[in-house]
Amino acid sequence: MENRETRLISGKGQYADDLDFPGMAHLVFVGSPHAHAVIKRLDVDKALKVPGVLTVITGEEMVKYTNPLPVQANFKSKGWTWRLANVYAMPKDKVRWYGEPVAAVVAEDEKTARRAADLVEVEYELLAVTGNALQALEPDSPKLYDDWEDNKQVHLKFDFGDPDGAFAEADQVMHINSREGRVTGLPIEGRGCVAHYNLKRDSLEMWGSFQTPYLARHNIAATLGMPEVKVKINAVDIGGAFGLKIHSWKENVVALASKLTGRHVKWFEPQKDFIVTGPHQRDVFWEGDVAFKNDGTLLGVKATVTHDLGVESTNKGIAALSIFPACSSVPNMYHWKGMHIEGVGAVTNKSFYCAYRGYGKDKGLKFIEHALNQVARKLGMTPEAIRLKNYIQPDEFPYHQINNLVYDSGDYPGTLKKALAMADVDGFRAKKESYLKEGKYLGIGVISAIEPAGVAVPNCQMGGITQARVQITPDGTIEVHSDRTEIGQGSEASHAIIVSNILGCNREDVLVKPVTSDYIGQGPLSSRGAVYPASAVAKAAKIIKKKVCQCAAAFLKVDEESLVLEGGMIYSSDNPDEKLTYRQLAEKAYFFPGPRGLPPEMLKKHDHLLDVTTTWYSPTTADSGSSYTSFCVAADVAVVEVDIDTGVTKIIKYVHVHDAGTIIDKQIVDGQIHGGIVQGIGEALYERLDYNDKGQLMTSSFSTYLIPTAVEAPDIEVGHMETPSPFTETGSKGMGESPIIGSKAVILAAIEDALTPFNIEVNESPATPELVRSWIVAARKRQEKAK
Amino acid sequence: MKMPITLNVNNTTWNLDIDANATLLEVLRSDVLNQQSVHRSCEEGECGACTVLMDGQPVNSCLVMAASAQGTTIITSEGLMRGDELHPLMKAFVAELGLQCGFCTPGMVMSAYALINQWGDEELSDMDIRKAIEGNLCRCTGYVNIITSIRRAKEAKDAGNWW
Repeated sequence: MENRETRLISGKGQYADDLDFPGMAHLVFVGSPHAHAVIKRLDVDKALKVPGVLTVITGEEMVKYTNPLPVQANFKSKGWTWRLANVYAMPKDKVRWYGEPVAAVVAEDEKTARRAADLVEVEYELLAVTGNALQALEPDSPKLYDDWEDNKQVHLKFDFGDPDGAFAEADQVMHINSREGRVTGLPIEGRGCVAHYNLKRDSLEMWGSFQTPYLARHNIAATLGMPEVKVKINAVDIGGAFGLKIHSWKENVVALASKLTGRHVKWFEPQKDFIVTGPHQRDVFWEGDVAFKNDGTLLGVKATVTHDLGVESTNKGIAALSIFPACSSVPNMYHWKGMHIEGVGAVTNKSFYCAYRGYGKDKGLKFIEHALNQVARKLGMTPEAIRLKNYIQPDEFPYHQINNLVYDSGDYPGTLKKALAMADVDGFRAKKESYLKEGKYLGIGVISAIEPAGVAVPNCQMGGITQARVQITPDGTIEVHSDRTEIGQGSEASHAIIVSNILGCNREDVLVKPVTSDYIGQGPLSSRGAVYPASAVAKAAKIIKKKVCQCAAAFLKVDEESLVLEGGMIYSSDNPDEKLTYRQLAEKAYFFPGPRGLPPEMLKKHDHLLDVTTTWYSPTTADSGSSYTSFCVAADVAVVEVDIDTGVTKIIKYVHVHDAGTIIDKQIVDGQIHGGIVQGIGEALYERLDYNDKGQLMTSSFSTYLIPTAVEAPDIEVGHMETPSPFTETGSKGMGESPIIGSKAVILAAIEDALTPFNIEVNESPATPELVRSWIVAARKRQEKAK
Repeated sequence: MKMPITLNVNNTTWNLDIDANATLLEVLRSDVLNQQSVHRSCEEGECGACTVLMDGQPVNSCLVMAASAQGTTIITSEGLMRGDELHPLMKAFVAELGLQCGFCTPGMVMSAYALINQWGDEELSDMDIRKAIEGNLCRCTGYVNIITSIRRAKEAKDAGNWW
């Protein structure tokens, strides 16, 4: 079968914008120009009069025809602060962020819809804007949701191990704070879909850039008040996702538009709208103390991380859920005595928070890696020395960390040592002084992190359950289904490799089907692809292999144990000349099972059906409640040169060594690493969603929201280690988020090292040239004063 | 308002009646020309997903008014194929996994094609490649495998395997 890459490169991709159906209408949203305002009057008459306009949907229709958006994560029961807003997919009375859709125009073609959208008249009464988390938490701050006591949506408190004991034992306590700017994942393709409501059957089918069709079905059906069995969601080719296409929300309006018009309705989002009204992430600040001994032994942390969540209007708890991993990832891969971590989330008049590669894990890990570097500097240790002193050792696995995560496997010291050697850290350190004499500021950053992957948490839609199906069809080809959508991360190729390795068949004979809501699971998020769906697929393939062997043994009249499956053939090692192809086997099993000699008990148990649907759930999550299953390990070293006159950072060398367990396909893993690292570099140096004091987003295009181009991206050297995970079916670990976690931390660490002569703590990102310059100017003033 | 234009797209000449305010991107993606490899994203010339060759030079088709393309020759990535056979440049992208989600890829391929086609026998440095594709944003690959793909394609051309 033609491989996916060949299909895509020859122009046969079918992305959301390529969807076309006879009689298809087009939907365009009208966004609010204000961040916080009461809708006084909304007049759609002029828009409706434009020839070709079919209907205009407003908040009024949403209230009339749909339910409020369904709850996706609810932790109210735990005794923490956890608030949810009762809102519809479009508001009727009030807008809460810049760009929030207030109307959707449906017309015969997109241009007509756009023209009519400009004629929708809205009169707003402006309200005071809550522009950031600190302001939102002030007692007199304007409230976003009238029925809430204040703007604090979430406050979680965790005690891991013995935090007070840790601080009592400490020789020193250091105060650490850091902050990171608001960013977005920004795939090159925006969101898009086509909805078709079948008025005769009262059923709905949608096609589009759905990262998690099974969850989308649940949420869209709940919004429209339909039974889930009447809704089908199909993922088409997706132009990048990174978590940003998990969440369906505008899609709900498209579904209603089809129901009201009886037409296929298409919506394809302009890139600008994706930035303005799409998921945002990060935008946190940390404040805390780290306790340690004079010999560099780490003891404890007490810290609070405060999140600017934007509005809580579209995803009902799933955004706030990312505060959990932000808190629980702080221990990273080290021995600790105890921690007290609090996570606070405040709502503001900004676009909503949702998943983006890292989903909070990155925040805790970045904070602790920064803190370790400060401790090392204070103690006169190298960054590697403090890490090597505190690592969990290879003989300690499975390791029950203080945060209740059960770490699976790895060689933490070995991974770091390999990275140091590959990057020639000693060589670069030796050069630093001579560089400085020439006025060049060379910096070497070193960090390491595990990536908790494969999430399963209670009380929310990320419950973990996953289904897969492997069927050998009568012509001997093999069909694979799962919840793992192909978003460019290689899920189709990975599953084909897993199945063909187990069945000894050719990769070309395995067809991994596009994902629909027919198969249960939460899709590729939290790097769970190589954990949950890959395990479910492998498990199904192993079960089917047993059936293949049973059938083949009967057909070939040989001992089942003697069977060999390779090169698409099945034969007995006792009689290698008599072979069955998968086609011959399947044809016999399906069409001629009785007379050709299958044992009666096999027939009665239906074991000759070469079709297996199964599920997979993590053994450690089941046993201990560990909310992640596998822990990829990575060490990053970056060497940078900072131009102190311009503040520009140039990356000279970048090394990433990782251990994601058994590698399914090295090319795919390398691709994930390269892409994640460059996204992290974007976060560290360039990317920032800037709102003005009116709450309007000022960086809403590729020309102002700066993602790295080929010129900024560095060469990347990757080193592999392979310590299999004992907890997954293939030994593989999730690894898609690990590279972004490491790179954004290590670039900042390298800048800090380069600026050692100025004694600057690099605790804010993005470290834009302006920011770096301001640090240097301030440091010089401090130095002059000291003189 | 409609207006007539003549456009040669991938070696076929078309006489089209276009909207006067249509962009080249819109016309290429229209039902008539159906060039689905030309992708729509930012529509302001920043991302490069809609890159095509216009008289041999890469352009962002979203920034070109179709009316001003009158009489030009357009090549999209579909036009690089020979029947079902991938162009050697495309084969290099597949071999080196120079694509992940594939959305930026057709535009990226056109910029790379223009670079290699116009480059002589002399060596192509990584920075030459990086500068040539600077206008084509990719969020998946970190550009590493794209650069490897383009280097491999240059080798193919040097070996005479090119069209």
